[in-house]
Amino acid sequence: MSAQQVKGPVNAAMMAGVAALVIGGGLALASLMSNGHAAFNTGSSGITWGLPVVGYVFFVLTSTGLTFVASLAMVFGIKEFYPVAKRCIWLALVTLIAGFTCLALELGHPFRMLWAIPTSFQYLSPLNWMGLFYAAYMVLLLLKFQKINGGDWNSSGSRMLGIASFASVVVAHGTLGGVFGAMAMRPMWYGPIIPLYFLLTAAVSGAAFAVLITYLTYGNESFMPAKVKNLMTGAMPKVFAAALGIVILAVVSRTIIGLWSNADGLQVWDHVVASPWYWIELILMIAAFVMLAKGGAPFFPSIMVIVSLFIGRYEFLISGQAVPLFKGSWVTGLIDYVPSMTEWMIILLAVGIVLAGWAFGEKSLNLAAEPAEK
Amino acid sequence: MARWGMVIDLDKCTGCQACSTACQMENNRLPGENYQDVLYYTEGKQPTPVLKWFPRPCMHCEEPSCMHVCPTKATFKTEDGVVLIDWNKCIGCKYCMIACPYGVRFYTDEKPLVEPDIKSVFPGEGDLSWNPPYKGPQQDNAHGVGIQPHGVVSKCTFCYHKISKAPKGIADLSNDDAANREYVPACVRTCAPTARYFGDLDNPNSNVSRLISDKRGVRLLDHTGNKPQVYYLSGGAGPAVPSGRGGANKA
Ligand code: SF4
Ligand code: SF4
Repeated sequence: MSAQQVKGPVNAAMMAGVAALVIGGGLALASLMSNGHAAFNTGSSGITWGLPVVGYVFFVLTSTGLTFVASLAMVFGIKEFYPVAKRCIWLALVTLIAGFTCLALELGHPFRMLWAIPTSFQYLSPLNWMGLFYAAYMVLLLLKFQKINGGDWNSSGSRMLGIASFASVVVAHGTLGGVFGAMAMRPMWYGPIIPLYFLLTAAVSGAAFAVLITYLTYGNESFMPAKVKNLMTGAMPKVFAAALGIVILAVVSRTIIGLWSNADGLQVWDHVVASPWYWIELILMIAAFVMLAKGGAPFFPSIMVIVSLFIGRYEFLISGQAVPLFKGSWVTGLIDYVPSMTEWMIILLAVGIVLAGWAFGEKSLNLAAEPAEK
Repeated sequence: MARWGMVIDLDKCTGCQACSTACQMENNRLPGENYQDVLYYTEGKQPTPVLKWFPRPCMHCEEPSCMHVCPTKATFKTEDGVVLIDWNKCIGCKYCMIACPYGVRFYTDEKPLVEPDIKSVFPGEGDLSWNPPYKGPQQDNAHGVGIQPHGVVSKCTFCYHKISKAPKGIADLSNDDAANREYVPACVRTCAPTARYFGDLDNPNSNVSRLISDKRGVRLLDHTGNKPQVYYLSGGAGPAVPSGRGGANKA
């Protein structure tokens, strides 16, 4: 397994990634240093958690999903998934770092967080648990990657690490779901099923990224080793389609319940379905599902699903805050919000981290490796 | 130990915003970051719209969701029932702003509401977000009192710098009590029609406790379970209609 098998645009991805990192990171940091968070379009009478938090949720849930895909092989023993397992673990690390970067740039005091959360330990706060479990997950992922990078796939230690990282991310994503699901005062988010909804959408997000990156690695199916090709034309699109189908049902059901119910705060759903973005989100998902169900290559569906999920995360985050709480004539009607350039630059930075991080791994960490046949 | 609370008589409130102005002066607040605000809104449609107003401080909830979600315990409840923010611990995650059902919390690093940006006209020193020509209370970051530092969240403190100095065991803090007038929260102190009352909710003989029971005080959005320590009186309209579904209460 080596670099000559890589026929895809890895070098181009590396260059694009570094460019995005430098431009996005440079502009975001310059603007944050001169204006602070006033460079964001968020506000106390407006949207409190803006685009960087959307990016955070999008990337950490993608990381979650990638770990699920790798775990199909490493925890559940479905051997077909071994050819993408190492790549998924690496990408899970990279997307997790991208997500954390978005969040760190959104916090008022990111460095203070490092001591203030562990020393205070507010056990009632979902955010506390989310931090704890995502931190544990990150450490476990690193250790697991180190093991398989050293060729140790199946020692009991390595297997335990695989199981532990899977377990930690199930809990971590659940607490992230809890951050929103526990908010009874924000009915758009509220509900015990939200962690489950996050789990489903995370799985789809992970599958989409796993497909996309595999295609980018090899260029197209004709350059894929037989096992990878089998996976990409066999089990992968099936799993992907099944998870996507459930997500479509979940989105539709959330919409109908949201439109039907009278709880104060849910009136935002009228606004959600009046937006073309909602329909783009839904149509992309359904079209991707149909393409997968017809047995087509999963490459284009993966891109469509990634775009759709990003729109979905944005819609979830922003609409959940769009009905003002006791703002009187400061805000009449729903809160308007358009992310600022600085906020977009943070997303560009995160995309840069993912692209460059992946390309780096592909070039120097032999991501195509899999356990030796017994 | 007292458990401080407030009663606001909506029948007396004229919507004059004297309380908001006094609060702005007392706590160095800028437009759009009103610890205390009188909200104006219209209910109903033509031809029968009604202009209403509603005075809204922090409710200093008994079950403050802002405190429960705060991952650093920067938001805490004092023994005397006041919800405060320790600015030395707040990381500016803004989860509390998401979780407060009453929209009473403010992040300071935002686009200014009025131009020129007053904060850049009077730039702050060190960590502080600005440096007003007139400064109110002594800076007390551990209780979220004074000029708001960058990167943290702020809110109404019930004028903690005043009420915490009141004699122990006192039932009410009111303008009628000349000896203790200094300790009355700024909004209560300045309310011309005396629509605001402040006192110990745990003392059955305090004026606030009496008003709540005699005039049937109600709490805003009681269904959220936050149980505000700010009660509203409205012509006895609250009464027969239970504000929650009754039955079991969280301890
Ligand atoms: S009104 Fe909001 S900020 Fe004040 S104590 Fe209640 S939940 Fe916290
Ligand atoms: S912004 Fe500060 S006070 Fe609010 S939840 Fe975060 S750390 Fe706590």
